[in-house]
Amino acid sequence: MNDAAQQSVTVWPLVLFFASAMGLVGLMIGLSSILGGRHNEKLGNEPFESGIRPTGSAHRRFSVQFYLVAIIFVLFDLEVVFVFSYAIAAPALGWAGYGAFIFFLGMITLGLIYEWRIGALNWAPKAPRQMRLEAIEINRARNLRGESTIDAGANHSPTLDQS
Amino acid sequence: MQIVAILAPLIVTATIVLTIGAVAFTRSHRIMAGLSSTGLVLALLGLIPASITVPIQVTPLYIVDGFGLFYMALILIAALISAILAYAYFETQSDYRAEFYILLLCATLGALSLVVCSHLASLFIGIELVSVPLYGMVAYAYRDSVSLESGLKYMILSGVASAFFLFGMALMFAASGSLTFTHIGQNPGGSQLLLLGVGMLVVGLAFKLSIAPFHLWTPDVYQGAPGPASTFLATVSKVAIFAALLRFFQTSPVAQNAWLHVLIIALAFISMLVGNLLALRQNNLKRLLGYSSIAHLGYILTAIAAGGPLAATAVGVYFAVYILTSLGAFGVVSVVSSPFTGTEASDLSNYRGLFRHQPTLAVTLAVMMISLAGIPITFGFIGKFYALLVAVNSGLWWLVAALIIGSAMGLYYYLRVTFILFGAYEGDAQKSLTESSSRTAIMALSLLAALVIALGIYPTPLIDLVNVAGIAVPA
Amino acid sequence: MILVWLLLIPFVAGALCYALDSSRGQGASRWIALIGSGLILLIALALWATGNYHLTNAVQGTAQWHTQFQLEWIPSLGISFHLALDGLSVIMLLLTGIMSVLAVASSWGQPRNREGLFYANLMWLIGGVVGIFLAIDLFAYFFFWEMMLIPMALLVALWGHDGSSVAAKRAAAIKFFIYTQASGLLMLASIIGLVIVHYEQTGAVTFDYQALLQTSHGGAFGMVLMLGFFIAFATKLTTIPFHGWLPDFHTHSPSDSSVDLTGVLVKTGAYGLLRFALPLFPHASAEFAPVAMILGLIGIYYGAVVAFAQTDMKRFVGYTSIAHMGFVLIGIYAGTLLAVQGAILQLLASALSTAGLFLVSSQLYARLGTRDMRSLGGLFGLMGAMPGFALVFSIAALGMPATANFLGEFLVLFGAFAHWPVIVAFAAAGLILAAVYALYLLHRVYWGPPSIKTPTSGLASREYASLLLIVALTLIIGLYPASVLQVTTGTAHEIAHWFAGPVSAVSSSQP
Repeated sequence: MNDAAQQSVTVWPLVLFFASAMGLVGLMIGLSSILGGRHNEKLGNEPFESGIRPTGSAHRRFSVQFYLVAIIFVLFDLEVVFVFSYAIAAPALGWAGYGAFIFFLGMITLGLIYEWRIGALNWAPKAPRQMRLEAIEINRARNLRGESTIDAGANHSPTLDQS
Repeated sequence: MQIVAILAPLIVTATIVLTIGAVAFTRSHRIMAGLSSTGLVLALLGLIPASITVPIQVTPLYIVDGFGLFYMALILIAALISAILAYAYFETQSDYRAEFYILLLCATLGALSLVVCSHLASLFIGIELVSVPLYGMVAYAYRDSVSLESGLKYMILSGVASAFFLFGMALMFAASGSLTFTHIGQNPGGSQLLLLGVGMLVVGLAFKLSIAPFHLWTPDVYQGAPGPASTFLATVSKVAIFAALLRFFQTSPVAQNAWLHVLIIALAFISMLVGNLLALRQNNLKRLLGYSSIAHLGYILTAIAAGGPLAATAVGVYFAVYILTSLGAFGVVSVVSSPFTGTEASDLSNYRGLFRHQPTLAVTLAVMMISLAGIPITFGFIGKFYALLVAVNSGLWWLVAALIIGSAMGLYYYLRVTFILFGAYEGDAQKSLTESSSRTAIMALSLLAALVIALGIYPTPLIDLVNVAGIAVPA
Repeated sequence: MILVWLLLIPFVAGALCYALDSSRGQGASRWIALIGSGLILLIALALWATGNYHLTNAVQGTAQWHTQFQLEWIPSLGISFHLALDGLSVIMLLLTGIMSVLAVASSWGQPRNREGLFYANLMWLIGGVVGIFLAIDLFAYFFFWEMMLIPMALLVALWGHDGSSVAAKRAAAIKFFIYTQASGLLMLASIIGLVIVHYEQTGAVTFDYQALLQTSHGGAFGMVLMLGFFIAFATKLTTIPFHGWLPDFHTHSPSDSSVDLTGVLVKTGAYGLLRFALPLFPHASAEFAPVAMILGLIGIYYGAVVAFAQTDMKRFVGYTSIAHMGFVLIGIYAGTLLAVQGAILQLLASALSTAGLFLVSSQLYARLGTRDMRSLGGLFGLMGAMPGFALVFSIAALGMPATANFLGEFLVLFGAFAHWPVIVAFAAAGLILAAVYALYLLHRVYWGPPSIKTPTSGLASREYASLLLIVALTLIIGLYPASVLQVTTGTAHEIAHWFAGPVSAVSSSQP
């Protein structure tokens, strides 16, 4: 059996799987678009809230610092990769490798301490007093105009309350 | 032996660790500045024992030689001055001063590793280690939208440049099967792919060096960044990346290519003319310095186009010139402006009649301007002399012409700044610079001015030093 | 060692002036400046009186120096700090000394801000000029050549003519700077090219004049290198296509005639031609001689005609000096002993008469507040002795016998006639124009209906002494030219020797 033939033997289940997956998805979307009802009323796109008309936008900013938490998580999670790779080679690397790895972990710990100390791990840090007052003022103004309000501290780094 | 050879980067690394640890417990500005400058001074001293061991190959990635140590010294001095400037600059700010020093030290570490890299992988790591902290440094005055904007600009364009660089690396690896400088282009096969790779590498580096036509980000970023960050960007990052480029061109066989030679000549030619032309009408000192740095990198590229041992000397001398004068010029801007008591004082009108109330700063800036213009009695002349020497020696007449026309244009704006300094005092009242932090910075700057003049009159020690510091070619 | 002193005195004096700027009140710095320039003059006089510059019997082909001083500078490139003195340098130093004393004297009384800095710049400028006349290593020469531009530009930009706007003064200074620096860089490229040619021939890297004299370079490359030198020197000498900086520069330069230093400044160009361009490139220079002489000829006519159209007195004088330099250029490129001697004499004479006219015009400005010739007239008899001096200087400028100018022009024309009769004929005709413009100046300013009613104050004794000194020197050189010619004969002989072969070859091949 030549190479090309062998490749086609190993590849064809994959191709079949791919094709059937695409086909299934296409079938579901296509059928529902054909069979599904269709209407074009004015209020059809409004969210249903028990007959009460919604106010404001759903695109609100959250004060929870998900992005920061996410980044810190990614950073530390990536370090785990190094731990795995060390674990595989640990016997071969001996004590010198062990020492180097302890040093590496020490660095990570230092980073953790730094983040903790500057308040990056606080869930919902308090914004500085001036900013909170400013946010209250802005919210009051916006409420009067019927606009959506903002949250103090959502728009800036969580480390602002240190120093 | 290998440990001793890389003592300076190790000391900087230790300082980074120490600084991060310290910042977790104290945010005293004085302690942070003191810690980081002590680390940099120690690293500078660490070069002395290292000089005995060179040249030595440290892992396949790095080669420490006289050339590398010389540029390490330049980088450490520039970083030290930047730290001193930062101390004066951020003293008036109330929050977040400590992290700047961490970023500065990280970028310095990247720069130190760049000048000794002998492998494309280490070159890339070095470039990123310089660039990434710089994003933060450029945007450090985050309450100033101009600073934020310039940080973002720098980040995006720098990212694009890195992408180019990586692609070029990949192509070169595909063509030659190795990432070591001395192996790239060794075997004759795949020359088209290889050339494409080198071309992309040059484009990526030219972006970082702000060589025309890849210079568009330079003036905006220089203008927007806080003074010490501009200083660092204009000196340390440039010298480190350029040294790496020079080492690549001097040791890699691929650099013998005639087409590449033409490319470098064209880049140098365009940079000299474009930089000087665009600087002519600037009224902002930082933008002006940004454009003039484009022109100066064009002058230095002349040496790369020429090649040979004389070129290495010329680059060494010119970079010493460039570092000292840029530090001085940006330093004065940085000391005069303080972003948190108003806007950056980088408009030329802020310098009108500076001689009246800050004679030391004014004379320092005037000396730097004259040195940038390349007039004798300042070190700048020696640099320009070497650039011309190399160009004439290699018969690069186009570059000789561009150099002469470029410096004639350059005179216009350098002299304009100089005359404004001594002119009648019309500007608004300036803050008095009597704080001790500013005094240290002013002292350092006047020391630089004295050095520029002393080396302009008697450059022999430095030239000898550069001549000793040759590039080692690993077997 | 005396050469080092000559160089150190102005620089140290300048530093002292600057240091005393703020600490002492008025006056301290100008005394230092006077002492400094006086010392230069005294040393130059001593060198002139005691030295023996008749070295004509020495071995031809190597430069002969009276005194030398050499110090390692940048050994890796064969650059040394090499100063040397011969007859030509002595004469130029003497001129520098006289001019600097006059400059300090003429700016004595005027109040100005930052006086210390002003005198410091003046002294540094003088130091740069002295360096130019002494340096014999090409790197060192270029070092001083460029270095003196900074103080000169600052003098014009910061202490320029009171009547000019700040922007105009700065523009004039920058224009001057760009002209000289761009042409200077051409010269630097040529110097480097010369050194590299020398290296390829001998294997030794050196910037030393004597070593480079032995370099042979023919053909187009030698011509290109020579042109680099020529353009730099011609720019300083205000030869026609390169003269653009001069009028503005004269208009806006300091009104109290520290500007007569520009006289010396312009002369550095002629010195450079004599010292470097001709001996280093005898063949290329000989080939180029017809072009250079025609440029000189154009200068004579152009200077005279344009001067005629001027209304500003200083601009007028500036253009007449362009005409004078035309004669100098012809003399230098004729290359015979007589012509070169004449060119040197003409240099001195022109420097003196131009300085005299500048002094007069600035004194006029100080009294009447204008230099516009349209609003002047009939001043003779109303201003004490000043119009009398103006008459003498104008007559000297037009080349009346008994003045130094006459001898200079005469020797140039006489020396050049053998090889270049046509050019000499046209140049001699140009002398008529000189008479016309000089008399026109007198007529306009000093005769006719008087523009002022009451006589102004006469000359102060300081001004009187300055003008008298210039008149005396003009007459002494005019009546006893041997005082100069004997000193420069060695140098002129050498130049003529370098030049004789190629020139006769070129001129005989032309009709």
